[in-house]
Amino acid sequence: MAKRSWLGGFLDRNGQALGLYILLAVSFWLLFLIILPQLAMIDFSLRHDLPAAQQGGPQDVWTFENYRHFIFGLPGNPDGWNRLDVGVFGRTIVAAAFVTILNLVICYPVAYYLAQVARGRQARVMAVALVVPYWVNEILRAFAFRIIFGATGVINSTLLTLGIIDLPIDFIRADIALYAGLGYAYVLLMVFPLYNAIESLDRNQIEAARDLGAPWWRIHTRIVLPFAKPGITSGCTMVFMLAAGALAAPQILGGPSNLWFTQLIYGQFFESVNWPRGAAYAIILLVACTLLVLLVMRLFKVRLGEIGK
Amino acid sequence: MTGRRSPRWSQWVIGAYLLLFFAYLFGPLLIMAVTAFNSSSFPRVSPWECLTFEWFVRLVEDQRLMQGLRNSLIIAFGVVVLSVAIGLAGALFLTQIAARSRAGTYTVFISPILMPGVVLGIATVLFWDRVAGSIGMAYGGLFYDGIFLTVLGQSCFIASYCLLVFLARLQRFDSQLIDAALDLGATNTQAFRRILLPFLKPAIGGAAVIAFLASFENYNTTVFTISFYNTFTVEVAQKVRLGIDPTISALAVIVIAISLVAALANEAGQSHQQRRLEGHGRGFVAFFTRNPAAVLAALAVGVIVVVLAFAVQHDPAACKARALEQRLERQQQYQPATPAPAAPTQSAPAAPGARDLNPGQGSFGDVFRGGLAPGSTPTPEPTPAPTPDTRSLNPGQGMFGDVFGGGLAPGTTPAPESHEGDSEE
Amino acid sequence: MAGGVSVELDRLLVQFDEFVAVRDANVRIEPGEFFSFLGPSGCGKTTILRTISGFLEPTSGAVRIDGKDMAFIGPNKRPTALIFQNLALFPLMTVWENIAFALEMKGVGAADRRKHADELLALIALDGQGDKYVHELSGGQKQRVAIARALCAEPSVLLLDEPLSALDLKLRQHMRTELRTIQRRVGLTFIYITHDQGEALTMSDHVAVMREGVIEQIGDGRTIYDDPATAFVASFVGENNALPGRVAEIRDGVALVDTSVGRLRARIATAARDRLRTDAEAIVFIRPEALDLDIAGASAETTIQATVIGEEFEGPNMHLQLRHDGGAELRVSLVNKGRTGTAGIGSSLAAAFDPMKAVALPSGALSAEE
Repeated sequence: MAKRSWLGGFLDRNGQALGLYILLAVSFWLLFLIILPQLAMIDFSLRHDLPAAQQGGPQDVWTFENYRHFIFGLPGNPDGWNRLDVGVFGRTIVAAAFVTILNLVICYPVAYYLAQVARGRQARVMAVALVVPYWVNEILRAFAFRIIFGATGVINSTLLTLGIIDLPIDFIRADIALYAGLGYAYVLLMVFPLYNAIESLDRNQIEAARDLGAPWWRIHTRIVLPFAKPGITSGCTMVFMLAAGALAAPQILGGPSNLWFTQLIYGQFFESVNWPRGAAYAIILLVACTLLVLLVMRLFKVRLGEIGK
Repeated sequence: MTGRRSPRWSQWVIGAYLLLFFAYLFGPLLIMAVTAFNSSSFPRVSPWECLTFEWFVRLVEDQRLMQGLRNSLIIAFGVVVLSVAIGLAGALFLTQIAARSRAGTYTVFISPILMPGVVLGIATVLFWDRVAGSIGMAYGGLFYDGIFLTVLGQSCFIASYCLLVFLARLQRFDSQLIDAALDLGATNTQAFRRILLPFLKPAIGGAAVIAFLASFENYNTTVFTISFYNTFTVEVAQKVRLGIDPTISALAVIVIAISLVAALANEAGQSHQQRRLEGHGRGFVAFFTRNPAAVLAALAVGVIVVVLAFAVQHDPAACKARALEQRLERQQQYQPATPAPAAPTQSAPAAPGARDLNPGQGSFGDVFRGGLAPGSTPTPEPTPAPTPDTRSLNPGQGMFGDVFGGGLAPGTTPAPESHEGDSEE
Repeated sequence: MAGGVSVELDRLLVQFDEFVAVRDANVRIEPGEFFSFLGPSGCGKTTILRTISGFLEPTSGAVRIDGKDMAFIGPNKRPTALIFQNLALFPLMTVWENIAFALEMKGVGAADRRKHADELLALIALDGQGDKYVHELSGGQKQRVAIARALCAEPSVLLLDEPLSALDLKLRQHMRTELRTIQRRVGLTFIYITHDQGEALTMSDHVAVMREGVIEQIGDGRTIYDDPATAFVASFVGENNALPGRVAEIRDGVALVDTSVGRLRARIATAARDRLRTDAEAIVFIRPEALDLDIAGASAETTIQATVIGEEFEGPNMHLQLRHDGGAELRVSLVNKGRTGTAGIGSSLAAAFDPMKAVALPSGALSAEE
């Protein structure tokens, strides 16, 4: 127990080779893949969009112009605020939250069944059945929904044949295809945290509650749901963050008039070629989502460290 | 809802719900798979025209897709190596630091999973652009290279997945085993290699598989980092946004078939392992006895072989000619009455008349309607091919039109010849 | 196999941040000795073992093995081998690979390793079981594999960290004898950690009793049991009736102590001869088997009047629970000589003892288990 530096102790414990590998790999990850890129993005977002020749020149100064643009739009904008971009942003957040809640409602019974009712081979088959669709590419899954919900897709042609409707329903424009596709995309991310949480609940608690005369819905609201709270928060956080940050599904399934905020960011990079503004929008998305998640966690009294189990 | 004592009706409700749920999971995939075998140039199940395998041939002949596949495999290899190495180091690091700083470090390590993929992609590109700029690297150098950037951008969060896999495994590790090895004269390196590494071996395999799949199917990050290359997934996304045609369904069939066989094989292997531990026999026959997954896997492989053999000598030409006739007849019937039942209700860029004559073309217009923002002009429209078949033969040129269209924000000026178009060439 | 060597702890102090796990430990363990550290959990005995094996460095003081200071010599460089509480057998290796692990680390070829492992398997009576995996063995077999694995490292000192605690009672008693036999055969120095005084007393040449990081007494089993050095040792090792009071008189190594059951006569423990003074607070310890219902020549100072409040008949022995009017409770164990029995619960009787078998000690902390 003689006094030694932490580093010395670490290298002693692991041996030189292994210790150095661990430290180098972790610092590379933290510095070059996580922290510095984020800082570079912040730096970019605080710059003017200048042609390459002027970069580093006298005009290359820090500015909040890009963030101002997000809120107020172009100078001389009659609305006084950037109705378009803020609107897209707000709609994305609300829609992502909607998809999250939808997913929770859909997945909870399945997770509960898998964790508390299914046994042995049935449970294993269910788990495999849940995972296998996710080996299929995200793009292909969105494509499948495109086929189903298209104007001449399975649903419309079925409804037309049955005579329920006369004209095809435009599922794409109504964003129904998008919600169905996004919900589909994150089923797995919702089911497994829920499953993990509910699985550790002692069956006897449920039996005891039933013996005490609790109806089935009360067993869930009073026992299972409170117990599964970390799992619910974990699943909802992941689904919300990924839904809000989704790009492929909105591009493929999104309605023509309803853009997703990531599509705005994409546009800044690939159509307007305004990297600083794109960086600013990316940061707005990241910060807003993070704050929202932290707020919800505070409300439900769950710590961040419990996520991702 | 909770087990044996629940009344019968609630079991029915739960059963029906589960059925519905798994229909939601598998239905779309199944329908998509079926459309791959229909000769209709718009992927559909009904009306069924002819059984055909031509979409598979088209798929394999697609040079850009195959080039994308090669790039994807190169990237996935790099990501697997980097992420598994980083994830393992991170997990070992986490298990050794003081308990009070562990929760915070853990949060930092898994934060990339929660970050939107586009943010990670953008941050990676911008950072290495800065680095390249500050060391005066010429454009085209390593730090501008799409494959290099994609490997780094993907590894950032895929390493977190690997970390979680390793942590889960390490939680079950008895650290006294390392002490025991040291006590018996092993050096730290020997103890790691002989005790911890063999213990982690399944986790390394698992992490590698997850890293491979995550890398292969990544779109959000890759689309920003890939620069003028393309990966399989990015290429598929562009095809999908250009126009849905059954080659994508054919691709899905292949992916689903591989997934299914892999899942069954994995399940079969595990249950075989299980029974071997319980002292059942080894060998070929023992592998299949009382192992339904193994039987199913073998069956699936058999079906694939039979289908392939059938496909080689199947010729749908006669059927297709008949189908074309029927279609024309049907259209002549409909034409005077209504402007085609399948026609989109909203205004589409393609002329309605042209659409009626050819349903494949009509669906094409439908795609554009979905992808294009109102107000933007669909200028770079692909050359309207007389038949959809030739269109998909040369997707390279026409593709960009829709790529840009889908991404356009209303109000932003559509640059008809934006620079990505050039860099894509 | 190398013979045993001496192990010395010289003013050993081990500290974790603020917490002192081991304080000023001075022990000399002779070559080839079976030495036990005995104490309740958390007393620092495991810390001592980990310090000797090299997993911990002392805060101050020294560990000397065969006269050599072990400072900053790692566990893999010390002539010690440790048998872990949970055995820590390698689950992914076969039995013989486990046993020959130390040789593998030295770079010995596979054929030689196998040969050596087979010899050790014969020593622990597990011939022909080398190709099994550890999980296929029974508890006692695992135990023996762990010993063989440690012996294969050819240590001079074998350290054992409560290796029997996971076994059931019957196997535990069998393994006690077996361990002792193995130790005699290989002639190594064994250092054994346990909270089970039965194990410590039956197997050891010497026992160190520890409490809260401090070694309270070192001695052979008989000394520890009959002549405890502190109130803690007296109460922790074996059953004991503790009767606190004040010393009234001291004469010829015998004390008269005023307790709640009256004035009692008791021999002063050897270690307390210089410390116990008249008028000091003291505790008289009388073992249940030292009390009897009739002792010839018992005086008032060796007799306690009490009421029977409980009886347990055990076969060879009869245990009585007594209560004195003042509230003190006593336990008496009588050997079944065919006529044991009292007038029943509620009757009163006199229990007497030989003053040389009662021990007077300065007041101090008692074992919490009492």
